[in-house]
Amino acid sequence: MNDFSLNIENLSKSFTIHAQGGLRLPVLKSFDLDVASGECIALVGPSGAGKSTLLRCIYANYLADSGRIALNNHGEVVDIRTAAPREVLKLRQHVIGYVSQFLRVIPRVPTVQVVAEPLRDRNIPADEATARAEKLLARLNVPEKLWQIPPATFSGGEQQRVNIARGFIYDFPLLLLDEPTASLDRANGSVVIELINEARERGAAIIGIFHDEDVRAEVATRLVEVQPLQAAA
Amino acid sequence: MTALMDQDQPLLRVSSVTKYYDLMIGCRNVSFDLWPGEVLGIVGESGSGKSTLLNCLSTRLEPNSGAIEYNTRASGLVDLFTMSEAERRMLMRTDWGFVHQNPRDGLRMGVSAGANIGERMMAVGARVYGDIRESAAHWLGRVEFDIDRMDHLPSTFSGGMQQRVQIARNLAVNPRLIFMDEPTGGLDVSVQARLLDLLRELVGDLGLSAIVVTHDLAVARLLSHRLMVMRNGEVVESGLTDQVLDDPQHPYTQLLVSSILQV
Ligand SMILES: Nc1ncnc2c1ncn2[C@@H]1O[C@H](COP(=O)(O)OP(=O)(O)OP(=O)(O)O)[C@@H](O)[C@H]1O
Ligand SMILES: [Mg+2]
Repeated sequence: MNDFSLNIENLSKSFTIHAQGGLRLPVLKSFDLDVASGECIALVGPSGAGKSTLLRCIYANYLADSGRIALNNHGEVVDIRTAAPREVLKLRQHVIGYVSQFLRVIPRVPTVQVVAEPLRDRNIPADEATARAEKLLARLNVPEKLWQIPPATFSGGEQQRVNIARGFIYDFPLLLLDEPTASLDRANGSVVIELINEARERGAAIIGIFHDEDVRAEVATRLVEVQPLQAAA
Repeated sequence: MTALMDQDQPLLRVSSVTKYYDLMIGCRNVSFDLWPGEVLGIVGESGSGKSTLLNCLSTRLEPNSGAIEYNTRASGLVDLFTMSEAERRMLMRTDWGFVHQNPRDGLRMGVSAGANIGERMMAVGARVYGDIRESAAHWLGRVEFDIDRMDHLPSTFSGGMQQRVQIARNLAVNPRLIFMDEPTGGLDVSVQARLLDLLRELVGDLGLSAIVVTHDLAVARLLSHRLMVMRNGEVVESGLTDQVLDDPQHPYTQLLVSSILQV
């Protein structure tokens, strides 16, 4: 049994733009969400509502103002909003996988290594990690001739598939997916749909943003609305 | 010999460190813990106190107030400035490395690349010539230095190669903590990228702790787990590196982040 849950309580997030005289942009207010393993939540709401902001707060890439983001992994509960950096990094290594819309490349590191890194971080031997990375890249139709090249020069869709491979190579208990099929064609999109459903079936908790309604219909077990707030004066 | 290192204890504990110069503040009231395996980046404009702080931490400068404790192999956390000068020197040789921006400050220019490394090893007790040479070659290999040039003088190398030798010299004694001051500062962009990637890989593989001072946010993003932003001698913001850079809270950090094209 997969013992994982995420409990978001009363979460608020605003941005203060100091260059604009301290302009405050509230994005999330008193937001609540519970996610259990085996669920795939699709966040819906208009552009700018704060869907990506929510995912980034859960990944601790953005600092939420108040509230709780409790990750319960086998009974060990951490509030990632207030966790120390080294705890957050540990959670990113073992618990949370995040597929952002854009790949942030590390210069000089070949694609296959970029994908294998989450396994290497967990001390899985290099040849096994590489083999698994290659298998996943092949499944995502990333041409073999690209595997030894750093992804910096890849097309948008190729980079996105590298990013997806990186997120799915390890069985993270929690997956955060920000428009994982946005720049993919139908064939590659369906591979991603398969990957998402397989992850959910093995017990991952998934929160995603899927603009394509067909994709959403195939993967989501529940829709959650993120509503835009009025900007405060 | 291998006293257990308590993973629940920081490697370095810095409490309220303040250093004044005659008329100016060097750094004021700086506190943080550095954990084993953690890389801390310190960013800020020139004159913000980064190097003063680094020099205090590495005991090159004595702070006016505050405490810097280091988790020694023998007796746990010890205040560095209560140690004797000899103890401190020994610690610097066995446990610490210092990578300077200018390789000339960290290398002996009059002896070969191999000897630069051998010398460091001898300072911590290595005596057998064959072992020293083999180990020097090993470390030069790790920093992707062309071993065929091991017996050449650093003055015949490019800046990037000199920097590799300096890094190898520091790693050869298996330190636990490395201080770096603008480690890729004076290099061409392409050389810089290769070196950064190498540093990132080495620090990760060896599980080192490091404190890296840089004014380059891209360097900080690539190398450090955690970031401290300094201004006028004070830490104005600190946290997880990507959080500080992607969601900066302090006006000064926002200004820094928005002043560059992309990191
Ligand atoms: N780092 C940031 N600094 C300042 N404002 C930000 C930052 N990140 C996001 N915002 C603002 O927060 C609001 C929500 O943005 P977010 O990207 O979360 O929306 P979204 O729901 O994902 O939209 P879309 O569907 O277009 O991707 C926007 O007004 C955006 O400009
Ligand atoms: Mg978005």
